[in-house]
Amino acid sequence: MSSRAPTERRAASPLTAIVRYTVRACVPSQRWLLLLPVAGAVLFGLLSRLSDETAVTAFVRVGGTALHTLVLPITCLVIGDALLGAEIRSGVFAFTWLSPVRYRTIVIGRWLGGCLIAAAVLVPAAAGAAVAAGAPSSAAPAAVAAVAGAAAYLALFLAIGASFKRPVVWSLALVILVERLLGAALDGIAQLSPGWLAQSVLVGLTSPAADLQREGIPSGWAAVGRLAVVAAVGLAVATRRLRSLRPASSAD
Amino acid sequence: MSEGEDGTDPAFVADSTVVVENASVWFGQKVALSELSCSFGPGVTGLLGPNGAGKSTLMRAITGLIGVNAGEVRVDGRDPRTDRDVQGRIALVPEDEAVPAQLTPRELVRYVADLHGVRDPGAAERALDLVDMLPAADRRLRGFSKGMRQRSKVAAALVTDPPVLVLDEPLNGADPVQRVRLTDLFRSLGAEGRTVIVSSHVLSEVERLADRVLVLIHGRLAAAGNHRAIRDAMDDRPRHVLIRADEPRRLGAALLRLGTVAGVSLTDAGLVVTTERAGALAVAVAPVARELGVRLREVRPLDDSLESLFQELVR
Repeated sequence: MSSRAPTERRAASPLTAIVRYTVRACVPSQRWLLLLPVAGAVLFGLLSRLSDETAVTAFVRVGGTALHTLVLPITCLVIGDALLGAEIRSGVFAFTWLSPVRYRTIVIGRWLGGCLIAAAVLVPAAAGAAVAAGAPSSAAPAAVAAVAGAAAYLALFLAIGASFKRPVVWSLALVILVERLLGAALDGIAQLSPGWLAQSVLVGLTSPAADLQREGIPSGWAAVGRLAVVAAVGLAVATRRLRSLRPASSAD
Repeated sequence: MSEGEDGTDPAFVADSTVVVENASVWFGQKVALSELSCSFGPGVTGLLGPNGAGKSTLMRAITGLIGVNAGEVRVDGRDPRTDRDVQGRIALVPEDEAVPAQLTPRELVRYVADLHGVRDPGAAERALDLVDMLPAADRRLRGFSKGMRQRSKVAAALVTDPPVLVLDEPLNGADPVQRVRLTDLFRSLGAEGRTVIVSSHVLSEVERLADRVLVLIHGRLAAAGNHRAIRDAMDDRPRHVLIRADEPRRLGAALLRLGTVAGVSLTDAGLVVTTERAGALAVAVAPVARELGVRLREVRPLDDSLESLFQELVR
């Protein structure tokens, strides 16, 4: 058996390096924390069993709603802050910023890394919730909805991280005030809201009771497409904002 | 600012790689740099100044981390703030302790190498070896002392083989052995023809590191030249020397009879001697003590802290 000496390592492309770094740097050292979203989602899945509706409809109504209004945004908020905002605040982002890598590559690398972490957490969470709800056929649609929603959320949180000094506050304001309060009343907001769109993906792909489909916003794969657009806009804004960023030092 | 020996402005060098022209930076109401003009070329240049003088702000402006509000900064004729390619030629070791805590030094150095497109597979190992971090290269940065973090950051900066190296208080936290090692390393990098800019608020540290020194106070350039020139500029100013001895009163009375001593005062810390000829006093004090049979415990210039030096310069 032979082991590779440290000097035999092949150089990675900047994008690969950033993705790898993001995954390494953003995952908490206390790995058990990653199980919290899974535990929460499974709990909500179990709560779905209390409903008299069919298993799929009950899961979408209870488990799915909880997944997309609580587990998904909170998980993404934590990951999204670690992707950029926390590094900018601490001064660590200078290691990445002070390189000839284009801003676009930095943003996409961070986002892809964040998506990998989010997928590693949310796919088991969504699938576990579906199984716990007695609707295993909904596991795949729930996973698709969670990952697509996470991709859009993370792009928006990256844009917020590159734009504001207190990104967690602004991200919470986006989720609670804009998405939950305004989005509940206004279809125009819901059409661009990762939370509402993710729920609509789940509804469209599982075909539960008709009353679960919110009118005025796309559902199923169309909602996935809309989430992709939201993500693209978020990434474009983040890239643009990175140009004028003043990475802090801890002395600031 | 006084002219150099050859009549040129000591704030500027002929073969400059980094040029700062009338640069001003402010954060809200606070002016961090005020119409600062200077240049840097191959070799080690020391940036001296007390805390809050604007050293870190200047270094961050040179590396493009922040833009200047007025004036301009050029590295190899290009704007480091807007031209990303400049980042391939410049490296910064920031003062703050922030490091990606989850990573090991080897991972950090490799990450920076990958971002800079370093293809040499042995570059990371060599950079770690230069700062003596190979034995700890696979431990997480989280548990490191300040000195070890600094050395890890130096390794990350060196792995890109940068022509311009900006080091913000790089010896902070380093133990005496590492200080010597890093000082020799930075001097050798300067001797190789790299532009090395190193900041410190410890005068003796900069004397060992750099031949050319720029002194910043309140965001302005207060003095420039080699450290001897800066010390010479203070020679006609009163200096204070602390002497701790067994019989300070007798020693003080004897020293007063020397022409070099302007005054003495007895404090809790010891005998404080005021002189305008510190060098002559340093030569005379030991023989006087021996003659009196007084045992000397410590002779230390009180003005060697940069704060006191700066107070003299701005007076």
